[in-house]
Amino acid sequence: MPHDDITMDADILIIDDDKELGDMLREFLAPDHFRVTAQTSGEAGLAAMRESKFDLLILDIMLPGISGIDVLKEVRKDSDMPIIMLTARGDDVDRILGLEFGADDYLAKPFNPRELLARIKAILRRAGAGPEAKDHVQMGSVEMDMRSRKVTAAGHPVRLTGTEFELLRCLASAPGDVVSREHLSREALGRGLLPYDRSIDTHISNVRRKLERAGVTTPTIQNQRGIGYRLLVEE
Amino acid sequence: MNSLLIRFFLAFWLTIALTIGAASAVGYYYSERAHAAIERFEVSDAMYEASAALRSNGRKGLTEWLDALPRVTGSVIYVVDERGRDLLGRRVPPSISAALRRFGGRRGSSQRDPGNLRLARPFTELVDTDGRIYHFFVVPPQGPIGSWFANRGLPSLAILAFVTSAAVSWLLAGTISRPVRRLRESATAIAEGKLDTRVAKGVAKRRDEIGLLARDFDRMASELQRSSHRQTELTRNVSHELRSPLARLRVALELARRKTGELPELEKIDAETEKLDALIGQILEFSKLDADDHEQAAQINVVDLVHQIVDDVRFEFGDKVELNYTCQADKDIVISGFEGALRSSVENVIRNAARHGQSGGRVDIDVSLERDEVTIDVRDDGGGVDAQELEHLFEPFYRTTPNRPELARSGSGLGLAIAQRAVALHGGTISARNEDGGLRVRIRVPTT
Repeated sequence: MPHDDITMDADILIIDDDKELGDMLREFLAPDHFRVTAQTSGEAGLAAMRESKFDLLILDIMLPGISGIDVLKEVRKDSDMPIIMLTARGDDVDRILGLEFGADDYLAKPFNPRELLARIKAILRRAGAGPEAKDHVQMGSVEMDMRSRKVTAAGHPVRLTGTEFELLRCLASAPGDVVSREHLSREALGRGLLPYDRSIDTHISNVRRKLERAGVTTPTIQNQRGIGYRLLVEE
Repeated sequence: MNSLLIRFFLAFWLTIALTIGAASAVGYYYSERAHAAIERFEVSDAMYEASAALRSNGRKGLTEWLDALPRVTGSVIYVVDERGRDLLGRRVPPSISAALRRFGGRRGSSQRDPGNLRLARPFTELVDTDGRIYHFFVVPPQGPIGSWFANRGLPSLAILAFVTSAAVSWLLAGTISRPVRRLRESATAIAEGKLDTRVAKGVAKRRDEIGLLARDFDRMASELQRSSHRQTELTRNVSHELRSPLARLRVALELARRKTGELPELEKIDAETEKLDALIGQILEFSKLDADDHEQAAQINVVDLVHQIVDDVRFEFGDKVELNYTCQADKDIVISGFEGALRSSVENVIRNAARHGQSGGRVDIDVSLERDEVTIDVRDDGGGVDAQELEHLFEPFYRTTPNRPELARSGSGLGLAIAQRAVALHGGTISARNEDGGLRVRIRVPTT
């Protein structure tokens, strides 16, 4: 990746009931100028977020007390900060739920910490990407405001997470053309595709469902088997 | 399904019909005797009075006598002339009219002596001075229902008995077969994995044996649900508890790498940690399938699914293996099933083939649809396995004697067992055989 050498400093909050892991991650991420605050419960994590601002949240889905999903819902009420969630490997339900409730990316525990570092950088890079050339896109009944990152369908707001917005933006930049999953992953998640990684498909189906629920009949997102997705706008 | 209902219905109906028949026969017998007794009594009193009235004052006298007759016993006396009319002009019950029509013409050679009283059977006759004959009937006391029936006759009684007994039998049979059907529906739902199913309230509230059965059934369902829940909890806890140390281990390993630089030992630790993690994952997956602790059923597009998996495996193995995918079906194949389970079964089979094939070899994957069965064929060129090992291939932790030693410790030994469980969950079969210098694994899943 071309930008990997760029150092960014950012405040990261880790909510994981494993205190030792949090401490080690703080040590591991320190050389890259990431300041890590570790909290061991959802309650404490939410309290910490009320007190100070963080650039990224790493959230364990399996938390004692209020669950990771609940923390996710609470955070997403008023923030679109990047969230990487930690799930148990093989627990598809948690993964799908997490992405559905607005997590940007996920890592299965136990993860390779270098992979975590790469994801953190990727997501921060994407979140810090400069403003769009166009600040307004209209497709069918769907309208995208690139500056405020808001989407409306026939005047009604459609709530998309950061990743979902990126995916729709990426598809909308070339309506009718098939965009590869690899490209979508790079644009929306800031990273390449991994084998057996279906998060792009989960995100896409979330976008699709949210648009359908808002009554949108065009544009539609089509799956091109083995290649990627494309946005179809019928006049 | 209705056979229980029909059987109970017929049994009840037959019983009720026989009971009605027997009761009617007994009732008829006793009513005949009562009839005779009353008649004898009336004959001894009323008939001689009537005869006397007729003799002294003719028809007029008889009418007056009849009119003045006190009604104490409740019996009604009719005196009917030869034209079938009552002397007091009352409506003659149909049973009497019918009897008259049948026996009225049999007077034959009877003496028409005036004032004669003939206690003849089937009914008493009085002979007037002018030779006219009056028939004397005593209708025994009857309640409103009895008179209603008497006015309508036997056929309507039979029809009424037929209809009511059928209705009662149907209701009775229903009270037994309906809750049994309800129980069966609940059992089916539980078998389909809907463990929160309970027998409907109405059945469980019954105080009879069916109610007891329903309550026991509900208790069983709760216990099943609890135990399934415990299993899920345990699985999650094991997953969490085993993985937390692994997660710390991996971070510690990276920290160590930073301090000492890359060492072959560290690389080994890393690789083994990953294997351990994969193994834990597979054990949990297997135990989930075993405990039927699976996801909600959904519509799955099999063609899409296999395509995605082929892409994924291609991605994992890169140039090492050539994956050849063909699809014989010209349309999408959609089945109802558990996507995660089906995905991991196909994935395990294809990855297994990719791993065991020749280096730079090829794996052929073919999807076809035959009537109501979808077949996924996966063929590698890895030399196959010994014939006697084929049948053990799908057993957990079974390891074949590899024809290439470097494969000896790869894989967890659970991949194909997981595949087999997952396919069985969809009512399908999985089989393996040697073909053209390789192994061919065939998954068949019914589409309905």
